[in-house]
Amino acid sequence: MQQETAEAGRWENLKLSISVFMANKSAVVGLIIVLVYLIDALIMQFDPMLLGIHHPDVLVPNFLNPVPLPPSPQHILGTTYPGIDLLTSILKAIRIDLAYSFFVVAVGASVGAVIGIVSAWASGMFDEVIMRITDIVFSIPYLILALAVGFILGRSLWHMSIALAITWWPLYARYARSQTLSTKEYTFIEAAKAAGVGRTTIMFRHILPNVLPPIFIQISLDLGSIMVIFSTLAFIGFIPSANIPELGYLTSLGLNFVQTAPWALIFPGLFITIFALAVNLLGDGLRDVIDPRRRG
Amino acid sequence: MIVAARRLTKYFQLKGTGIVGGGLSLKAVDDISIDIKEGSIVGVVGESGSGKSTLGRLLMALLQPTSGQVLFDIPDDVLAEYDKYIETNQADKCRKIEEEYSIFRSKGKAMKEMRKQMGMVFQDPYSSLDPRMRVEDIITEPMLATGYLDPEKARKRCLELLDEVGLPRDFAFRYPHELSGGQRQRVALARGISTLPKFLVLDEPTSALDVSVQAQILSLLKKIRSRYNISMLLITHNIAVIAYMADFVNVMYAGKVMESGVKRDVILNPTHPYTIALISAVPGRARMRQRIILQGDPPNLVFPPSGCRFHPRCPVAFELCGWTADEVATDLDYLVQGKYYTTFQGNTQVIPKDALSILIKGTNSIQLSEMIASEREKMRSLMSIANIKDTEEGVLISLSHFVTPKMYNLDNGKKVSCLLYSPEVMATQKGAISGN
Repeated sequence: MQQETAEAGRWENLKLSISVFMANKSAVVGLIIVLVYLIDALIMQFDPMLLGIHHPDVLVPNFLNPVPLPPSPQHILGTTYPGIDLLTSILKAIRIDLAYSFFVVAVGASVGAVIGIVSAWASGMFDEVIMRITDIVFSIPYLILALAVGFILGRSLWHMSIALAITWWPLYARYARSQTLSTKEYTFIEAAKAAGVGRTTIMFRHILPNVLPPIFIQISLDLGSIMVIFSTLAFIGFIPSANIPELGYLTSLGLNFVQTAPWALIFPGLFITIFALAVNLLGDGLRDVIDPRRRG
Repeated sequence: MIVAARRLTKYFQLKGTGIVGGGLSLKAVDDISIDIKEGSIVGVVGESGSGKSTLGRLLMALLQPTSGQVLFDIPDDVLAEYDKYIETNQADKCRKIEEEYSIFRSKGKAMKEMRKQMGMVFQDPYSSLDPRMRVEDIITEPMLATGYLDPEKARKRCLELLDEVGLPRDFAFRYPHELSGGQRQRVALARGISTLPKFLVLDEPTSALDVSVQAQILSLLKKIRSRYNISMLLITHNIAVIAYMADFVNVMYAGKVMESGVKRDVILNPTHPYTIALISAVPGRARMRQRIILQGDPPNLVFPPSGCRFHPRCPVAFELCGWTADEVATDLDYLVQGKYYTTFQGNTQVIPKDALSILIKGTNSIQLSEMIASEREKMRSLMSIANIKDTEEGVLISLSHFVTPKMYNLDNGKKVSCLLYSPEVMATQKGAISGN
């Protein structure tokens, strides 16, 4: 019977979480947009023919009619130079942008979180050294590092992602460290010590469950910024070949036609912005759900 | 004795950057001895920053003391023996007793055994419960961590404990944020008594709660005490709470115990000047006793006052209480530059020379003596001026030596840390007064 009550409690909890999230209308909008992007990425990965796309990995130029065309029934969002259909290319590009953004955030967050938590937990000299190293890495501008990495290792999407991950982990290291430090000071940690709980158990039972959720929220918020930065790098030409479908690169293709064919610039850019916005809204909603103190 | 602290001292090292602030320490608890009998509630009162909570954490072994010992569950005869060894400085024999009873010597398994015997309830029930754990997990945590019960039995006991503290059983599956302040404090209390400890530290258990809820929690505590005969250390700044709950009271000020004794004696018949002032400040008692308003602020514990720590604010302080040249010079300067400005015309300089002498330039001893004579009743620091002498540099004022008070036993079983109750000091003092 007790098991049942526990089960029921968990179900109640889930229901509460969902209703808290649903109460935040903008977060729901954010979630829907992010889901649309994800579904599009998955379709492109597994069955692009569903949307009638034959070559999900490359842009298909049309050199017979390279000048951008305005939106029309054939090209719903118009075309960009050289004769590339914008809608299909954006659908293709979302997969690539999403995948690399996920990669950067996942690597940066996991490396940073581990370093930050361990550093705060160990404290003392070790903490001091690790944090100074973090500061040094933190001071490197991502664009410069990305360009340097590109110059040395060659321009590729992977190298671009690695450069971003290198500049991104210190952010998480600092964040995780500050979270750990403030959690360490709570009375419930002292109460656990008074109850005879060991150091390691306190780490896993009390510190981590309180430190990780805010980091997950940070991840969801960062996904948007990483995508913006990733496409910025592509926009300034940090891309290995001329026909990779990537939102920033698509935007740069329309750059020369900004006066005569603004759609060629606006539509790809819009898809970057919308994603960044949606992810932020979603993160806000998640914060309400994950933090038990915010559930009135 | 369930708990006996001896000469307990805790200095917190201040973190300094390089030269500035390095090597300084904050003397939070200084040379405190305290006894807690089986089944008794010992109250600790004092204002904020007097070291009450630090004392509680030391007794729970949550902090390591700078020096001193806390002996747990020690037979009275062994404790008497231990006190004798301390007095006669027999360190090796002390160590033998400490090894057996000290709470700081225990490690690993022995420590867990010790934790089983001790519990703590914290001040703020909003931060003392992990927001990500369910009430059941919170309450069973001490039982599981110390190996007191296996998980199955612990869960069962958790429900009994909820009954005990007056909460419905289905609260076991709730999270702390779903509970009110009083309910949370009940959960914290259930956690504190879950392993049926012999000793419970209550660190301001009611100060974060509504008044109506405070009364409920206090009567619950009384009920628990009478049922399980748990000894308690009750830390609070609320005299009314002490008056209601405690059997014995310790009054703390600036890291030292000023007065200790049976509750009735301390609260109804305070002896130490600080206790008198403290009790007189309790709202509603003004009719019975004239209210004493203390001047100044609690001292800086990085540089605590010498002698008696209360002397700078004490309304009856006298020359032996611990006045230093700095304190007297500050007061003299205040008089010379302020109230007596017309007499001295502002061209005097007050310079503390060493610990017990002050040089005053630009005046003569007659003027100064006059001023001091008329002010010494109001400005207690001037009491310590023993000698005023004209020299070539200026007037040299020398102060009397000082005595640091110990705990003096009074006839009614109270202990007071005030020179007014020191037999030796008062004997010589009387001689000096009659000699005048």
